[in-house]
Amino acid sequence: MNADDSLTDDDAVGRALSGDLVAYEALVSRYTPIAHRTAFLLGAGDEAEDVVQEAFVKAYRHLRSFRRESPFRPWLLRIVANETHNVTRSRGRRADLSVRLEGVREPYTPEDPQDAAAAGDRSARLLAAVRSLPDREREAVVCRYFLQLSESETAEILGCPIGSVKSRTHRGLRRLREEVDRELL
Amino acid sequence: MNSSDDAFEAELRALGESLHVPPPPADMSVRVTAALRELSEEPHFTTGPSKPFFAAKFRRPRFTTKRLVAVVAAFLVVLVAATPQGRAAVVEVLRFAGVEIEVGTSEPLPSGSPSPLPSETSAALAEARRAVAFPLVVPAALGEPDQVRVADGGQVVSMYWDGVRLDQYDGTLHEVWNKQLGEPFPQQLLIGSTQAVWIPQQHGIEYLPKAGGKPVSLRLAGPTLIWQVDRVGLRLEGVQTIQEATRIATSVR
Repeated sequence: MNADDSLTDDDAVGRALSGDLVAYEALVSRYTPIAHRTAFLLGAGDEAEDVVQEAFVKAYRHLRSFRRESPFRPWLLRIVANETHNVTRSRGRRADLSVRLEGVREPYTPEDPQDAAAAGDRSARLLAAVRSLPDREREAVVCRYFLQLSESETAEILGCPIGSVKSRTHRGLRRLREEVDRELL
Repeated sequence: MNSSDDAFEAELRALGESLHVPPPPADMSVRVTAALRELSEEPHFTTGPSKPFFAAKFRRPRFTTKRLVAVVAAFLVVLVAATPQGRAAVVEVLRFAGVEIEVGTSEPLPSGSPSPLPSETSAALAEARRAVAFPLVVPAALGEPDQVRVADGGQVVSMYWDGVRLDQYDGTLHEVWNKQLGEPFPQQLLIGSTQAVWIPQQHGIEYLPKAGGKPVSLRLAGPTLIWQVDRVGLRLEGVQTIQEATRIATSVR
């Protein structure tokens, strides 16, 4: 529905609040990709699709508690993050970051195959280091860099003050550097 | 941040872009509307598949507070009806304002010394307001709290007066507390126009940490009133009668 593209989030929310489900569908289509990526990278794994569906249903049911003057995206992603916690908690295990590197696309594209191998190796080590970060630091790093969200969005999604996002990210980065640099020696 | 920090951050962003994430589901809007339709009992939601989903504008939103109240009320009635005396207790779970209430469990009540909430620290009221991501309220009927404590990274704020405790937490999105109750079953009431639940007897209470993991078994809780103000869930404990609890709850500012 191309007409949906011109609909602002606020218009769509307003119309959904007055019972227009087509307007809500527009929001669902718009935010499914980021919601799904968020659920997956925060550890929902195979259950990411179910998490996203449940999050959109919950968001609709709680739409009245959404503050219209604030942006919709972080509010929705907070629900996604909470749903992800619920499924990882019910699985009774730590929220694993179950991702792998895309075989062909490396962060750097050096000419020399040997450099390419080294870069790939470094990426794999960096990813392993992100995986083994303490939960709070990992979540902050995933939100800030893998999802490329702002500090204030990250704070809303993780339900903590901005100061905590800064300190968790800072600690996470320091730990990652130590980890990756140590292995280079 | 110096330039090598910037380069490291850029490297992390690039790594994020190279991660293999499954493609997002293409049919999500259909799935969501179907799920919402299933939750509704409006007769025109059951029209045949040839009609487009939700082509008509609805007269009014389907999940009004009134409606949710009716659903919760109906659920409680069913619970009571489904648990006749003498039959093995049926365990049902009621989720309300961030509290998961297991009704019908006959587990022994917890004893021994109470445990604190995770990483609980004392704070001044103004400090607590800054430390949490939701607006705090204070019941005018009780006045300024004697003590304020912030726990679990700002997830819960507890205020204390002589023998009375008020917990506030983000009550909309996931469960924060778990309670196990036998009979009598919780009683519903309205605080203004908001649905509330009164638990008249002593009961076990567990805290579900924000980061997941095992529930923290807290203590034996006394009679408790649970309600919600906007997105904030509240539980008031230590007041002996429903009338007094209601009076305090209606005075929150």
